[in-house]
Amino acid sequence: MTSTVSSYDILWKWSPAIVLAALVAFFTIINPNFLSLANFARMSIAATPALLVALGVTFIIIMGSIDLSMEGIVSTTAVVFGWLFLALGGRLAEGWAWVALPAAILTGAVFGYVNGLVHVKLSIPSFMSSLAMGFVGTGIAVLMTSGERIRIEDDVFRALLLERFFGFPLMAYVGLAAVLLAWFIQRKTTLGRNFYAVGGGEHLAHASGLNVRRVRVLGFTLAGMFYAAAALLAVARLGIAEANTGSNYMFVSITSVVVGGTTLLGGSGGVWNTVAGVLIVNVISNGMVVAGLPRYLQDGVLGLLVIIAVVLSTDRKSISFVK
Amino acid sequence: METELENENAFIKTFIEQEVSNRRHFLLASAAGLAGVAALGMGFPAMAAGPAQRLPMAWSYRDRSNPYWNEVVSGGEAFVESLGMKKGDLVHLINNGSSEKSLADIKAFLAKTGGKCAIACDPNDAPNARPVVESVAKAGAFVSTIWNKTDDLHPWDFGDNWVSHMTWSDVEPAEKTARILLNAMGGKGAIVGIGGIPANGPAIERRKGLMKALKDFPNVQLLDYQPADWSTQKANEVMQGFLTRFGDKITGVFSANDSMAYGILEALRAEGKKLPVVAYDGNPQAVDLVMKGELLATCFTNPPWAGGISAALAYHAAIGTFKPSKEPKAHREFYGPTILITQKDAQAFKKKYQSGSIPKYDWTDFWSPTTGPIRA
Repeated sequence: MTSTVSSYDILWKWSPAIVLAALVAFFTIINPNFLSLANFARMSIAATPALLVALGVTFIIIMGSIDLSMEGIVSTTAVVFGWLFLALGGRLAEGWAWVALPAAILTGAVFGYVNGLVHVKLSIPSFMSSLAMGFVGTGIAVLMTSGERIRIEDDVFRALLLERFFGFPLMAYVGLAAVLLAWFIQRKTTLGRNFYAVGGGEHLAHASGLNVRRVRVLGFTLAGMFYAAAALLAVARLGIAEANTGSNYMFVSITSVVVGGTTLLGGSGGVWNTVAGVLIVNVISNGMVVAGLPRYLQDGVLGLLVIIAVVLSTDRKSISFVK
Repeated sequence: METELENENAFIKTFIEQEVSNRRHFLLASAAGLAGVAALGMGFPAMAAGPAQRLPMAWSYRDRSNPYWNEVVSGGEAFVESLGMKKGDLVHLINNGSSEKSLADIKAFLAKTGGKCAIACDPNDAPNARPVVESVAKAGAFVSTIWNKTDDLHPWDFGDNWVSHMTWSDVEPAEKTARILLNAMGGKGAIVGIGGIPANGPAIERRKGLMKALKDFPNVQLLDYQPADWSTQKANEVMQGFLTRFGDKITGVFSANDSMAYGILEALRAEGKKLPVVAYDGNPQAVDLVMKGELLATCFTNPPWAGGISAALAYHAAIGTFKPSKEPKAHREFYGPTILITQKDAQAFKKKYQSGSIPKYDWTDFWSPTTGPIRA
């Protein structure tokens, strides 16, 4: 970046926020109920698990890779958590049931680690290796549950949804904490800066002595942990852990990251872009229902937004051709 | 590069070899089974009693990893076991959603058994019903079908060989669950509806059922009906949207299936609200919720019974227990069972149908659980 920051750059930097504000204004005009604390709390419930998944995949996309394993990892970790939680008594406040929480995060980390190893050691493109690992995850979840649902009724755990502070459920604050953690990793840790180095120019990073493979594996491991945390919130939200818990998160999270302005080419964007992206996607899906627009239009609208976002966020002159 | 190619060739070669030997094993195994059948079944009409009636039986269906089909075929196995045979004696013709494979498998089974067999089958799609039943009739075998057939095609046009066809209409049962909801609301107020994948058959029929019921309740307003694709998560979000849009105006919720109802109940619970909700499918957990009073009603279609009775109908027609052409049309083409579950009967229902294994059915009671002839 040179010091001459054009107005276009400023506009680009703030465009996700501008789009978000415009959407909020649009839906509020159609139905004033949209702009209410109760509705924002509802949106936060729907958005928080998706936000954590999107934060995880943000790091991968910054590296210029892609991770499509989130649905499988979310399902597996949700089921592992549900199963262990009930096996250890099913009450968070008593006994050993709390062990299920770190165990789930650990499962996510292991899954992500393997995911990264498959990608790096076997030299399989990340989109293919992660997609395959995602299927493996869903398979494990189906195998563990044989299609049944695990119900989590414990009030202490469900407090994530049912306990409110200033109108927002506890899980919204967990989401906020996760954003700050992700931002800290991005800004203040070597690993976070290395993600940008790899995404900005892998060969250059390698030539400068960076162990690119290690960074990649660590990136996928970190993403796996975020997916696992997302799984815990998804279970808290519906009280159900099942092989389906992860479904829909791939589309929502990748869309959110891209709409937020993190380019798929890697090296730019970041945590706050993702936050804006997740909010945009959730405002649209909630707003469609609140405004009384047919819900089947929603996927079409989101698809269009992705194309617009990708077009805007790519400096097309710098790419000679597109594969 | 060359070695890579060679590797690939080697891989393909081993793969083909494995497949061939797998097929050989399969053929050998089925030949052995057949020989047993032939030895036991020589002149089978004469041997009316004992395990000698080992007529080869097959169930042709989509996919066992699908919970619905798993239940259906488990019923088929329960029937086979009731004859003193082993579970494994039922031949599974799995078509994975391909009508071509469905037909090819059935033809192969007919050829293998020389037409001395009984088949239960979902032809996968409506046009495939004709070639399936025609080849069965030509081979002199017996088949019962479920779900798919064209409206112009009827079992009675094929003499005895096409024993029966069973399907389900969700319109009436959905109308009944809707009536339970509307009555519980005292016939006034406003409801929202949450439906399945828009173009999906059952989704269309269940919505139609709600609309029919609403005609008799002029004081209940349908605020909106939106699809949530049978998904718990999406239904949760749609319900949240409805709460923002209509708030306290909503006094009841119609859900087109159980898994969406779970999401709806959680959306209400998050706000400390409780509304009457009806669902559909009769999943064990939904039945639990009905017992607890969190769901008002759900509806069960008894897939294991359907799977067992289809096999039983074809089998008993084949061994001459009854002559299909002597039966009334209502015994040839009919709707499958639908059982409404409300709080007062949930306990009894659970005990009868969902306490572990498949209940012991009388597999010669072919028609009493069915719900009338199919209307075009």
